[in-house]
Formats: sequence, structure tokens, C-alpha cells
Amino acid sequence: MEPIEVDELQNKADMLRLATLDLCVGAQKGHLTSAFSCAELLTALYYGKVLRYDPKKPKWEDRDRLFISKGHASPLLYSILKDLGFIPADYLEDFCKTDKLGVHLQSNVPGVENTVGSLGHGLGVAAGMALGAKMDRKDYYSFVLLSDGECCEGSIWEAAMFAGHHRLNNLIAIVDRNYMTATDFTENSVGLTPLDKKFEAFGWEVKKIKGHSISEILSCFEGIRSFRRMTPFVIIADTVKGKGVNLSENKPAWHARVPKIEDAEVWRNEIRTVKGVCHE
Amino acid sequence: MSEMVAMRDAFIGKLYDFAKKDRNIIFVSADMGAPGLEVYRRDLSSQYVNVGVAEQDMIMIAAGLALAGKKVFTFSIGPFATARCFEFTKVDIVLMNLPVTIIGVGAGFSYDADGPTHYTTEDISIMRVLPNMQIFSPCDSIAAAACADLTYKSSGPAYVRLDRQVVPEIYSNGESFESGFKELRSGNDICIVATANMVHNALSISNHFASKGRKIGVIDLLRLKPVGDDFKKAIMEYKVIISMEEHLLDGGLGSILAEIIIDENLPVRLKRFGLNKYMYAYGRKNIQKLFGIDEDSIIKAIENMH
Repeated sequence: MEPIEVDELQNKADMLRLATLDLCVGAQKGHLTSAFSCAELLTALYYGKVLRYDPKKPKWEDRDRLFISKGHASPLLYSILKDLGFIPADYLEDFCKTDKLGVHLQSNVPGVENTVGSLGHGLGVAAGMALGAKMDRKDYYSFVLLSDGECCEGSIWEAAMFAGHHRLNNLIAIVDRNYMTATDFTENSVGLTPLDKKFEAFGWEVKKIKGHSISEILSCFEGIRSFRRMTPFVIIADTVKGKGVNLSENKPAWHARVPKIEDAEVWRNEIRTVKGVCHE
Repeated sequence: MSEMVAMRDAFIGKLYDFAKKDRNIIFVSADMGAPGLEVYRRDLSSQYVNVGVAEQDMIMIAAGLALAGKKVFTFSIGPFATARCFEFTKVDIVLMNLPVTIIGVGAGFSYDADGPTHYTTEDISIMRVLPNMQIFSPCDSIAAAACADLTYKSSGPAYVRLDRQVVPEIYSNGESFESGFKELRSGNDICIVATANMVHNALSISNHFASKGRKIGVIDLLRLKPVGDDFKKAIMEYKVIISMEEHLLDGGLGSILAEIIIDENLPVRLKRFGLNKYMYAYGRKNIQKLFGIDEDSIIKAIENMH
């Protein structure tokens, strides 16, 4: 296997930020900062040889399933799906304009596993999928990307308890721990700390990482194909909401907000300059 | 004559027959039991999941299993199977049109000592608002077993509401329920359309009038959604339709009929009998009397009709 170039993946993550920005600015819709916070996480999964998939066969029976529970990160996922060839480019031109793609995820888009938008759904559905895989002796993984804010939903903990009880070692959850909700910081509203201890108490193996470090993200998935764990696995990825553009980082006001078309160049330049990304 | 069984046992018994041949049938219970389920659990343990007292999780797990190619039947008490986890059913089942059948036990006042938390009297309204949700409301164990057949063969979401009590059989084995309704008595001008347990009341009312030489029709509307064109034709034969339900009037059986009558511009008068509030009351016959949906109240109402 070829070694994975971390710098290349970082570059890819920032190019995806730019693509996400263009998508949202064009439609003047979307949750940019929520997408930026998980750019490295999804980049590592899709481009770091973690997920098993085939863009030509989006319903391939043995693919890994990635459930995006924070469905408002859709513009990032759609940018990835377009880049990988799951969906044609003209799909993105219709973002929020026709029936193809909206602010939240819909399961009829090639490469999207579940319809989601309201929070607290992804973990339970992913757990059901993981159980189904075990029943059929399939060796695919069920991945789920959660926001930290949605961990206030009771359904997350119903599902966490279920997965722990059934020792679903083919289930991997990633919490995008950006410490922010729509209106405030998590610890100022209903504190989640210690999130790791909560998952541990529910029977999960937990790993805390820096969520914008490609190498730390990739290190979580070493050896996953030999199913070395006996329990479900959660990665608590410490991230920054709005990562990549200084004026949007850690700013609750930028939740579900998009810069005006005339202001977008400032955002683009910052993503290019700070990360040294060469766009196009 | 075979021993009478509760609807849930009849349904599960039929499902058991299918599940023995189809390993993709998975039964997901939210800590809800039934005598018939004990046999299923014993023989088909790998096709049984108990999520504990967690109805939201029941629906999410069912959705995940369905996405993995399974045909899932969830099992809980009526209000918990429907209202408690409603938005999960909407997002995880209906929006993805998954083959999940939600079974709710305790239709109407069949848990008649348990009070309004357990009375299943708003489930029809709640579930019928969901597009592509089929709704079945059988009145005896033969019809309940037929619902297992109909939902197993269906490829989309369904809700089946079952009585908790053992009730006398109305139907005989081998009947077809494909049309979703049965005209059990034909009448002259008046027809009672009932569902679930109230079909029994409707028959006894019809019998009462028959003994006096007056023919009152009775239709069992078993499938509340979708309602077929044949049913619309059947009610057009009458001048007056009376709806009877152990369910709140807003959005229930009577509402379904009212909508059909208005939408199809049918020249039919409708009188609805059902509930208008929650009540702390116990004993099925007593509760029916308090709400004016018992046989005597409706007989009087029909006698006073002009």
C-alpha cells in the first residue's frame, strides 16, 4: 500500500473547504462553520484509505456505511461526493434550488446513506446497520459522524447503551467535538464534559484526538479490518467550529450563516493563505 | 373450534411461519412481551432483538436493520409505538420508505384498567398524517393474522394496531382482506362504519335492529390507510353513515370518512361517534358508556335519527 501523504490530505481538506464555501455562497444557504469543523475528519475517511467504497457502485453491498448524523454538514459531503464522482458536477449547481440537494441530507443522493437533518438519529441507525452486518456475517463497518451538540439528545444515549450492550465492534462513531451548539458553547448550555467518561461508562472504547490533525485521525483506524476491538469505538475529535477562517472560528453567530457574495473572497483568501492551498 | 387467541399472538404466530423461512425477518421489541412471542424467541432467537424500554431506539435500530436489508417488525404498547417516537418514525422510516411494520398493542381501551397513558386513542390521527404509512386496524385474531400476511408482503412502512384482549372471532379462516374493508351486514339506508373493537359493538347494534325488522349495515374498515375506491362505492349505497371508534374524533375514523365524503362529493350524511377528551375511567364497557359509544347509546341515537 502506498504511504498516505498527510500534507496532500491537508491540502485536500482545504480545497474541500473552498468548494464548500463556493457551494454555500452560491446558494446563500448552508452551515459552513459546521462543515469546516469536520473537514479533516471526512477528508481522512474518504481520501485516507479508511472507508471502503466505490463511486461507480454507490449501493455496493460490501461498502462501509458512513452515516452523517450532523446532516447540516451536507455541503462538505456533497463536495466530496462530487469530487469522487458519486454525483455529477451539475448536481451542485442546483444546491438548494431544485429537488436534488438541500441543506440537509437526503438518502436518494448517490453516496448518501441516510436522510437526516434533525439531530440525534445517526447513532441509532448506524447501530442497527452494524447489528444487521453481524447478522449477515458481513465485514463492513458502520461509521457515524456526530456533532457534540446533538449528544444532548437522549436518543444518542439510548443508542450508545444498545451498541455497548451488543458489543458492536463494527461500529465507529466520531464526535466532532467543537464545543459549540447553534447559539452558545456546549459547556455554557448543558455541559457534556466528561464526554469520554460517559461513552466509557456505556461500554465503548474511547480515543481523544486533535480533530484537525490528519495523522492523528488516521492513526485511529490502523488495524480496523482485523476487528481487534471487542466493543464499539468512539473517537472524540477536538475541533474548532469554523476552522480555517479566522473570523468564523468559535463564533456562535456564524452558525447557519453564509458570507455575502461580495465578502466571500476574504474567506477564500484566508483559506488559501493560511493553509497555503493552491486553488485550482 | 380452536382455542381463541389474542390478536397479537395471532399476528406473531403468522409472522413466525414466515420468519422460519425468511431469515431477514427481524422482530424488535421495546421490552414488550406476548405468549406467542415466547415461541418465536425460543425458536428464532437470532431474529429477535429487545432494545429495552427505549422506543426511539427501537425505531432507529429498526431503520438501520432495514437499511441492512432486513424486514423489521417493531413491538410496543400503542402510544409508545406511535406518539413517543413519532419523529423517529417520520425521519428514519417514512422519509426513507423502509419496510418496517410498527405493531402497537392496546388499541382503544383494551388496556382498560391502565388509564389514559395506555389507552391508544390518538394513534390513528398521528400515524395517518405520515405519507406512505399504511394503517391496519383489525377486529379479531383472524384479521390480525391476515395483517401479518399483508404487511410482510408490503415493501413500505406500516402500522398495525392490535387489541390487547381476547375477543370473539368475527371472521373465518381463509378470508381475503386485500380490499381493506368488509361489508359484514348490508342495510337499507343506514350503515355503521367501525374499526377494531367497535366492529363488535356495531354488529350487536345491527343485530338489535334486525330483531325488530330493520336492516342496519355494518362495514369493518380494517385498512384505514390507504382507503380504496371500492370502499367509497360501498358507502355510496347508503344515505346515512355512522362512524364508531374507540379513538379521539380529531383525525380518527370519522375524520377519514368526512374527508372522503367531502373530497368525493358523496351525497351521504355522516354522524360520528368517538371521544372528545382524555378521561380517567376504567372498565371497557364503563368507559364506552361514559363516552356515549356503547351499544345502548348508539341504538338510542339511531332511533332518534330522522
